[in-house]
Amino acid sequence: MAKEYTVTLKESIRVNPSTHFLSFYCPEIALNALPGQFVAISSNQFLKRPFGIAQVDKDKGTFSIGVRIVKDGTRYLATSPIGTEFEVMGPLGNGFSIEKDRPLLLVGGGTGVFPLRFLQSYAQEHSIPFYSVNGFRCVDDACFIDGERNSNCIVATDAGDFGVKGNVLDALEMIPFDMIRGSTVCTVGPEIMMKHVASWAESKGLTCYVSLEKRMACGIGVCLVCTCKTKSDKEPGYENKRCCKDGPVFLSAEVIW
Amino acid sequence: MVDLSVTIGNVRFKNPIILASGTCGFGRELEQYIDFCSVGALSSKGLTLRPRQGNDGCRVAETPSGMLNSVGLQNPGVRYFVENDLQFMASLPTGVIVNVAGHSTEDYVEAVRFLEPHREFIDAIELNLSCPNVKEGCMVIGASPEALFQLVSLVRKETTLPLWVKLTPNVTDISLTALAAQRAGADAVVAINTLLGMAIDVKTRRPILNNNTGGLSGPCIKPVALRMVEACASVLDIPVIGCGGISTGEDVLAFMIAGASAVQIGTSTLIHPSACETITEEVVALAEDLNISSISEIVGTLNLWR
Repeated sequence: MAKEYTVTLKESIRVNPSTHFLSFYCPEIALNALPGQFVAISSNQFLKRPFGIAQVDKDKGTFSIGVRIVKDGTRYLATSPIGTEFEVMGPLGNGFSIEKDRPLLLVGGGTGVFPLRFLQSYAQEHSIPFYSVNGFRCVDDACFIDGERNSNCIVATDAGDFGVKGNVLDALEMIPFDMIRGSTVCTVGPEIMMKHVASWAESKGLTCYVSLEKRMACGIGVCLVCTCKTKSDKEPGYENKRCCKDGPVFLSAEVIW
Repeated sequence: MVDLSVTIGNVRFKNPIILASGTCGFGRELEQYIDFCSVGALSSKGLTLRPRQGNDGCRVAETPSGMLNSVGLQNPGVRYFVENDLQFMASLPTGVIVNVAGHSTEDYVEAVRFLEPHREFIDAIELNLSCPNVKEGCMVIGASPEALFQLVSLVRKETTLPLWVKLTPNVTDISLTALAAQRAGADAVVAINTLLGMAIDVKTRRPILNNNTGGLSGPCIKPVALRMVEACASVLDIPVIGCGGISTGEDVLAFMIAGASAVQIGTSTLIHPSACETITEEVVALAEDLNISSISEIVGTLNLWR
């Protein structure tokens, strides 16, 4: 059950020139959050900002998010000193639906790698095999690339200054299909990337979940400003669903891009 | 203990705090955040005769101390509401206001007619004549005293339920539409709905909202709303329900002093789902400080400078 909390910033790590990894003390969220869920967090702006939960530490009672500086609100968050208090609501949204007997193929783009990091930890904890593909514009834009040069992880950069040169689709094509046969694809990143990943997954007969991101206000499903178009048999042939409450995770086959 | 009860027309509410339409759904999502005993009533999401999916694309833009929205009246339609949500709303320990919107006079008349057999579950019908985010009806009707008068007169014939008319601030003189509502038989007016506004992305040179314009709400509109509540209250005999940027107990008292018999709180709920509960507590504390024994006694007690 999601609630409103006042939380304290415990740790702020600069991941790359524009991105910080922030950890907050809130045992309730750390205990209850599921991969794919998000928190809405206050800044110096009017509306709270939604961030996918990137990590939880149940022992320390902390949860973490990745914040890329875009404008004033995210700059405030990323540059706040340790000890700063924030208002937080969470965990919000539905999260990924995970079948424990199926391997996972995690496809992240940019800051989309943060919520997938939580899913990856969950997979490790529950001995679910996974394969991970992360794409970034360039090495300065990349997150978590140290220590992830193992056999089941590919990093791709558009600039080619780290890992494979190209995008996540180029990287996906490099994986022998036998390694990912029967996997459930979970993708988080720019909408255009997720659209192409979903289409690739569908062409391979793989089930694909996408985590949609829209500008939000309430975060709990009352204001209807963060809707996305989904398929429907009813008039007028589509249904606008709430990203915050019905999502943010949707089956790709359901989404009208 | 302060007596918080207020009477709008012939309906008594346990306190003057009403959750504004479009910011509380039909109450379900807020149940885990708010004790409905702490609010006087809940106004449903704006309902139209037929279901609507609302506007495409981006529907929200943040502004200094507020936000623009262009939802475009996404709602399941009045029939679905009656079959699936009305009973739930009525089961909550708070008043039930059903907000009705439409494209044409016929839409409003038919929707209200549809609700009439279920009147036992409803405390008042609120006519949304002020949504700025749909191309026809609503604000177009609500901005013209003549069109508003005609519509409210026709709806008035369909129901014996208390009829509230939610007014648009996007007019030159709100007292004219307020008077037209009163003349047509409204039991109260709600002032104000959102102010028409725009936000622009300078990189793309496009409006942020795909609807180009949206309705501005939040603390930034409070001074405008207060002034309009005062303007309505000073010419009307029927009650005014104040709405626009209220986020504290002090705001509630200011609106009531300006002439509001009750208030609606919307955008604050989007920031804190339990805002109305907190605001009710603040009203009690402030009223005690000011030696107010019954909150109704302050309504319209504004002492203007001469």
